[in-house]
Amino acid sequence: MLESVIINRRRHVGLQKVSALGGTVRSSIGPDKNYKFIQDETSGEAVLVGSCFRIIDNLELTCAVGQLVHETIRAHHKEYRTGTGCLLFLAGAWSRVALDCLHRGISVKYIITCMSEGIDICLDVCKKSSVSIKDLSVIQKCTQDLGLQRSEKPIKPNQETPNVREKCLNMSAQRKLKLSRHFCETKSEMSSTVLHPDAPDLPDVAVMAESLSHGCENAMRLAVQAAEMLLKMNRQRVSDRLFDISKVMTCVLPALPEDCSCVVEGCVVLLSDEQAAVSHGLKQRPLKVALVTGDLSQTYRHPGFKGLSGTRVHGHLDLSASSKEDEWLDKVLKLLLSLEVDLVLTAGLASPKVIQLCCRHHILVVEKINPSVFTAVTSSTGAVPVSYATQLTEHCVGHGVKIEIWRDLGSYERKSLLAVNISTGGEGGLVTAVVTSCINGKLQALEDQFWACVYRLHHALKDGALLPGAGGTELLCVHKLLEQAEHRSKTGSDASFYRGLVFQLIADGLIDYITAITKGTQARTIVRKQLQDFHRDEIIAGKFLQLVLESEREDAVFSAVKPDKAPAVKVYDNLSSKQEAWRKALDLVFLVLQSDAEIITGVVQKTEENLMQL
Amino acid sequence: MSRLVKKSPSVCTDLPLNTTELCSKLQLMKELLRSSYGPTGRLKQVHNNIGGSVVTSSASSVLLQAISSSQPIINLIKTSILGHIHRFSDCGLFAAVFCLSLIEEAKQGGLRENVVIRVNNHLLTLCTDYLQQEDCSCKVRLDFCSSQSLVTLARSVISSKPTCVLTEPELVHISRLAVQAFLLTVPCNIPETVRLGRTVTVPLEGHSVLESAVFPGLLLDMPENLGPVHLCSPLCMVLFSASLAGDLSELGDGRIEMHSGVDTDSQILDQLLQLGKQVLNDEVKLFVCQKVIHPVLQHYLRCNGLIVIERLGVSLMEPLIQLSGAQPVATLHTNIPSTAYGRVHKVSIKQFGSKKMVHLQPAGETAVCSMILCHRNETMLNELKLVCQKTEHVLRLTLREPCALLGGGCTETHLAAYIRHKSNNEISKSSSVLGCTQTEYRLAAEAFCRSLELVAMALEHDGGSSLIDLTHAHHWILPSDATEEQPECVMRFCSCGAVESCQNKKWSYLNTKYAELSPAPLQTASPLQPTVLDSFTAKMNAFRVAVETANLVLDVKYVIQDFN
Repeated sequence: MLESVIINRRRHVGLQKVSALGGTVRSSIGPDKNYKFIQDETSGEAVLVGSCFRIIDNLELTCAVGQLVHETIRAHHKEYRTGTGCLLFLAGAWSRVALDCLHRGISVKYIITCMSEGIDICLDVCKKSSVSIKDLSVIQKCTQDLGLQRSEKPIKPNQETPNVREKCLNMSAQRKLKLSRHFCETKSEMSSTVLHPDAPDLPDVAVMAESLSHGCENAMRLAVQAAEMLLKMNRQRVSDRLFDISKVMTCVLPALPEDCSCVVEGCVVLLSDEQAAVSHGLKQRPLKVALVTGDLSQTYRHPGFKGLSGTRVHGHLDLSASSKEDEWLDKVLKLLLSLEVDLVLTAGLASPKVIQLCCRHHILVVEKINPSVFTAVTSSTGAVPVSYATQLTEHCVGHGVKIEIWRDLGSYERKSLLAVNISTGGEGGLVTAVVTSCINGKLQALEDQFWACVYRLHHALKDGALLPGAGGTELLCVHKLLEQAEHRSKTGSDASFYRGLVFQLIADGLIDYITAITKGTQARTIVRKQLQDFHRDEIIAGKFLQLVLESEREDAVFSAVKPDKAPAVKVYDNLSSKQEAWRKALDLVFLVLQSDAEIITGVVQKTEENLMQL
Repeated sequence: MSRLVKKSPSVCTDLPLNTTELCSKLQLMKELLRSSYGPTGRLKQVHNNIGGSVVTSSASSVLLQAISSSQPIINLIKTSILGHIHRFSDCGLFAAVFCLSLIEEAKQGGLRENVVIRVNNHLLTLCTDYLQQEDCSCKVRLDFCSSQSLVTLARSVISSKPTCVLTEPELVHISRLAVQAFLLTVPCNIPETVRLGRTVTVPLEGHSVLESAVFPGLLLDMPENLGPVHLCSPLCMVLFSASLAGDLSELGDGRIEMHSGVDTDSQILDQLLQLGKQVLNDEVKLFVCQKVIHPVLQHYLRCNGLIVIERLGVSLMEPLIQLSGAQPVATLHTNIPSTAYGRVHKVSIKQFGSKKMVHLQPAGETAVCSMILCHRNETMLNELKLVCQKTEHVLRLTLREPCALLGGGCTETHLAAYIRHKSNNEISKSSSVLGCTQTEYRLAAEAFCRSLELVAMALEHDGGSSLIDLTHAHHWILPSDATEEQPECVMRFCSCGAVESCQNKKWSYLNTKYAELSPAPLQTASPLQPTVLDSFTAKMNAFRVAVETANLVLDVKYVIQDFN
């Protein structure tokens, strides 16, 4: 008989676990990510992982907290493809906040209230410090003119202007000065852009791309190409303004150097020897295409079909399985030939026999096609997807797809490989990013990086705003939190003293995050110093950003990361991705903080502590 | 060669409640459920330890389903509480904690079981009689002219599950939606028999809770290849409950004999297409099937301009029948009678984030509505869905008896004070009727009252103390980190919010002996409205279930277990 077992967790092991998991991604956040190997001790196999999502995905986390973490990370990755490291790191940092509070005897209820207030302060900072994309393009267009003004308010002499100018003069005079919306120059293009605020109707993707690349310049270059290509192809379609990511695909090519990566119009797929021969004959003429959503084989049945189980057949003329298949093959081939189909795309698999037979009759069969290709082909050629090949009729066949030999890759692992490009032409076209690397293990990471960049651009356009990056937003939050904490501690009562303490701890978590992303050993002291300076000075967001920018430079020197070139580009982060990551991190901490026991419904290893049988 | 396996004899345990094993397990169960009780309760992670999904919850329905024991008595308690939850949805943890406290208190009192059982029954009648009284002062009548008290009731239910992780504005939003959905399911034009409608919950992960919404009509998952939708209105629809996948699923395990060379698949497909032709002739525009539709039939219907929706799922069948008036067709072997067709007034497509849904609106008023529930992650969304369904049930119960009980433990402390007072006054009469000594009666009554108070105390999990005021006998919580000398400065209101603290108010700690009092009724002219309310019907039944189960457990003399 199964007995439920209850594990009582008095020492808040759950929070410690989240904190430990948060620690594992320390080197996987920020612009300079380190790769990690995850090795399976039993099989000896190893994977190379470069992002937080892949780390958690490849670790087999069987404990309850581990699964909660996995679930949260997966949900965030699905929506944003970036920011999972930030999520997990902060979940770890804030778990330590909760643990610290518990050690000090603050009640769970109160910790939750205070931490919620803390995150509300941070989200408010996000809202206030976000830079709209329109402003951003204005700022980026500014050249090295030094007549700085605050752009939002009417032009007025500002006390700090000389100060800032001085700082800028100290820097290389050639360097672009890109700050926030608070600083803009008065002369040059300013007048024109301000006079026509709606002039950049199509947001300039390339402008944002630089500041969103976060160390993945190559991947971002591909993402920008993809976005621009799509924009050019679908210029007249209003709905496509926002970088329609459903029209982007990737094709991973091993054994080519990384600088061969590129973006191609259409859909690039890899073909085998036989298929390659057929495609040579089909290239550069409009083709008739059939779309099959199921598998291309005789035994395929649609999902939900159970078949007849209890049948008994009379008579001895029962057809054997092989003759049945032949009959089916014959039928399909006749149908395809009579419809003059040149190309069959199937979302499922195609049996080798079908592929061979079709090849002999100069029909190209390509399997495992992405559903968005179907959508594109349907909208451009009028083809109607069917589940079974036998279902095809004249009306289902589309016309006008083209095939090009994109590249002959020679032989790879003793099989020759040919990459062909299936282009639909017309509207609703697709683009494919071809990701290449000589190192097989790195391909996944490179593909992930590409998608991260694509999603960053997509969400930036969708949000219409960005946040100051490179820890800038976090630093503003730290400042605001500490300010509030100080304010609370002055009022004196116990309750507000604890509140101040919690705010301070949350701020510590954020400082830890800034330290981790800048990888600077001294970043913490710099942050502290800045905050001190900050208190003395008049508090103006623009001034603060200036300090942040400076810290990046200093930090670059300290940590010796690319010491030859100080960052010339202002770094920005995605607004919604960051806000969601913070919220999700806190939700995770709350769920774990409030859990006090596990109920195990299955078999239990007796090695665990604190087990109680019911 | 036959083999004889020796049967192990059955094991008989004498007076199971006296064994330390059972007592410690009962205590564990009580601790597990007690710690989950109320809005600040702790959560439990339920999983199978081999990588299965983890459910985080503090809901009695989840927790009780997860626990199973080698002790039949524990399973008995579990089943009886689950039975209550099944019928009333709410007050499961209350019933469980109360029941387990009654058993524990009775054991500690050391009284004869049959005396305890008789006194418990007597006091239960006392309680229920009092709660049924018109002038019972821990009961409030619900005013259906305003939504205020309904929202308060909904809010109390929703806020009792911290796994939902709701902020204040989110809590208000969801409470309002729950009431709105409930009101939409009550038909306006009442025929002879009132039939309540349905709320269909559609969970949507990854969005803010504030994006949750309620729509009249039904929202169905949109099929991928819907094709062009011509939204003419009103349109005729057909609904199949039989699978149209092309197999003979109604055959079950039966055997078919057939001649070779018969292609059953294509014959069934022909039959399906025949069906499609009829539907087309009858000018049906919306074709819905509970199960799978053969792709060829789907294709045929779509090409002829129909909206085809498959895999509706059994849970949506009943609401769709109510909405459209269609009769589900259970076979594909006969012509569809024209009476089976239903009507839908309007079909439109709604988009929520990346999810597209088909919105069906009824021709007349049918009291079916859909509730889109959004939350940031799966765990919290699952709990939110559970809680909203529970709220719907609780709100429906108010139609049976339009009243609610004061929440936050105030009803329990109030009842305890009332029973102490009442039983003391009638001690000589009651003890002679029940056939026990006055001391026994007093001890048993004390155990019953203490169990009630323990339930109220179970609401506090952060080290605070539970207090009772000596005028209205309401429940108050003094936070553990309160430093002020004057409790009236820290505690402004009682747990249910109906009583405000004032200068000359006197309190006593709940776990200490306090002067007996007859609880004063609330001032009727008081501007204070209770902020926490419990379902009257559910709590009344929970009282009965708890006492009856406890009595049964106390009455068990032997446990006989067969270990073969």
